[in-house]
Amino acid sequence: MIGLDVGSTSAKRVTIEKGELKYNITSSQNWRDLVDGIDCDEIISTGYFRNSVPHRASVTEITAAIHGVRHYFPDIDVIVDIGGQDTKVIDIRKNNFMINDKCSAGTGAFLEFVANYFRLELVELGRLHMNAKRIPDINNTCGVFAISEMISQLVAGYSKEEVIAGMHHAFARRISFMIPDAEKIALIGGTVKNEGMVMALKDLLRKEIFIPPEPQIINALGALKYYS
Amino acid sequence: MSKIGITALVPPELIFACDCSPLDVNNFIPESRKYPRNKLCAWTAIWKEMLIQKEIRIESLIVVAGGDCHNALVDGQKVAMSGTRTHFFFYPFDGDAEYLESQLWRLSDFLGDIKNPDKFKEITNLKKLGQDMDKKRYNGKINPGEAFRILISSSDLQSDPDKFRKAISSIRENNIELNSRVALIGVPPIYHDFHDVAQSLDLAIVFDELPYEFIRHGGNNIREIARDYCNYTFARPLEFRINFLQKELEKRNIDGVIHYTQFACHHMLEDEVIRKELDYPVLTIQGDLPGKTPEQIKLRLEAFREALLRS
Ligand code: SF4
Repeated sequence: MIGLDVGSTSAKRVTIEKGELKYNITSSQNWRDLVDGIDCDEIISTGYFRNSVPHRASVTEITAAIHGVRHYFPDIDVIVDIGGQDTKVIDIRKNNFMINDKCSAGTGAFLEFVANYFRLELVELGRLHMNAKRIPDINNTCGVFAISEMISQLVAGYSKEEVIAGMHHAFARRISFMIPDAEKIALIGGTVKNEGMVMALKDLLRKEIFIPPEPQIINALGALKYYS
Repeated sequence: MSKIGITALVPPELIFACDCSPLDVNNFIPESRKYPRNKLCAWTAIWKEMLIQKEIRIESLIVVAGGDCHNALVDGQKVAMSGTRTHFFFYPFDGDAEYLESQLWRLSDFLGDIKNPDKFKEITNLKKLGQDMDKKRYNGKINPGEAFRILISSSDLQSDPDKFRKAISSIRENNIELNSRVALIGVPPIYHDFHDVAQSLDLAIVFDELPYEFIRHGGNNIREIARDYCNYTFARPLEFRINFLQKELEKRNIDGVIHYTQFACHHMLEDEVIRKELDYPVLTIQGDLPGKTPEQIKLRLEAFREALLRS
C-alpha cells in the first residue's frame, strides 16, 4: 500500500516497508513516475488532485495531516500546513480547520516571489536569512505590496539578507494570525524547510514548535496511515 | 399587477395585499454570468447593474436598508438615481414593534394602500405549508436540496401564490437517510448548486437560516405582522439571533454548522462570535462571484464531513 499526495506543486509518495518509512518527491506533473507498476487498489490518495489520480480510497489533506503528524507527535494541539498555494491550520482539539487560499501573502507562493526577485532558489532564502544583522519592518499584508515595500527597503540601504529576513517576518506574522492559542504546534509542508521562516515564526509564537524530519511528506504518510 | 422588486425580506403578504406582486431581485444572481464593475458584495453589485440596465423588469423597488445591509443601501440609491421609483425600508435593531408598524404603513402608502386584505390570511396559510415542508425535511422525508429551492423562493412566493402552492404540492415524500446533519447559517450561498454539492458529499442540510426566516413570520394585518416581523433575526442584535439559532439547532439534532459568508459583507465579522457561542463544529466558507461551487469550497466541505465523522 502507498500513500500518494499530489498537490498543486509537488507529488509525494510514502511506503512503510518492514517498519521503515520510504518516500519519493517529484513535481506534480510527474506524479505518474511515483506509481509506475503499482495497482490502483494499492494507492491511498490525498492532495489537490486526490480524486483525479488512481486510488483505492482518497482523503482530504486535512484528515491526512492529522494522521501523518500523529505518527511523530501523538499529542499535538494545532497543525499548520504551509503549502505552495495555500496554508491550512487544523485545531485538533476543536476538530476545526481553516484554509487560506485566497491571498498569496500567507502561502509558499509569497516566498517564491521573493526568491524570484533575487533570482535565487527557494531553499537559499533560509540560509541568507541567517546572515542578516538587522531586520527591517515590512508592514504590508498584501503579497504584491510587500514586494514593493521590500524594494524600498533595499533602496533605504538594507542588505539582501536583511530584506529577506524582513520578508520572512512579514510572512510569519501573516501565518500567526491564523493560529489559535495553543501549547503544541506542528509545522508541516514544503515551506517549513526554510529555517529562516521557521525562526521568524518561532519568534512570534513563542510556543513549543514541532517539525517532523521530512515535513513535505506528512500528508502522503497520513493518507497511508488513515487507511491502514 | 405591478411587479415590485425587493432586495431582502419585505413582508410579501403586505405587497400582495396592496395588489402588487413581489420579485426578489436576488433570485437572478446565482445563475448570473455578469462580472460587475465597482463591486464589493456580488449580490448587490449584480442586481444593481441588472436593474439599471433594465434586465430585471420591475415597476418599483423596495430596498431593505435598516437592520440589513449597507451595501444594499448604497447600491439601491444608484438604482433610484437611474430613474426607478424606490422605497427604503428599515427594520428596527431593538425590535420596536411600533416603529416597524410605522414603517409598514409607509410601505403600504408607497404601494398604493391595501386593496385585498384577504391576502394576509392566504399567505399565512401558504407559509404554514412551507413550515410543514421544513419539518419534513429535517425528519428525513424530503430531499434537502429540493426543500431549499422552495424555501428560498418563499421571500416572494415566486411572485404568485398559486404557483408557490403548486411547487410545494409537487414535492414527493421519500425516506431519506440523513447521515451528517448540517445547519447552513448566514446569508445564502451565491453558488446555484451548493445544496446538491453538499448532499453529494454526504452533508445533509436540514436547516437554512435565512430561508427559514422567510416562512416563519406572518400575520393577518399590519399590526400583527409588525409584531411578528420585528423578530426577524438578521435585523436584531447578534445575541438575539444566536439564542434563536441555538434552539433551532437543538430541535433539528444538528451535527455541525456551515457558516456561509460573502466577500465584502459585514456578516463575516460575526464569524468569530458565532464560532465561540455555538457549541458545534463550525465550518466557515466565503464566496464571491456566482456560478458553480468552486473546488476549493468542495475541499472544505469534504474535509468538514471527515471532521464530523471523527467527532
Ligand atoms: S451578502 Fe451581505 S453585503 Fe451582500 S447583500 Fe447580503 S447582507 Fe448585503
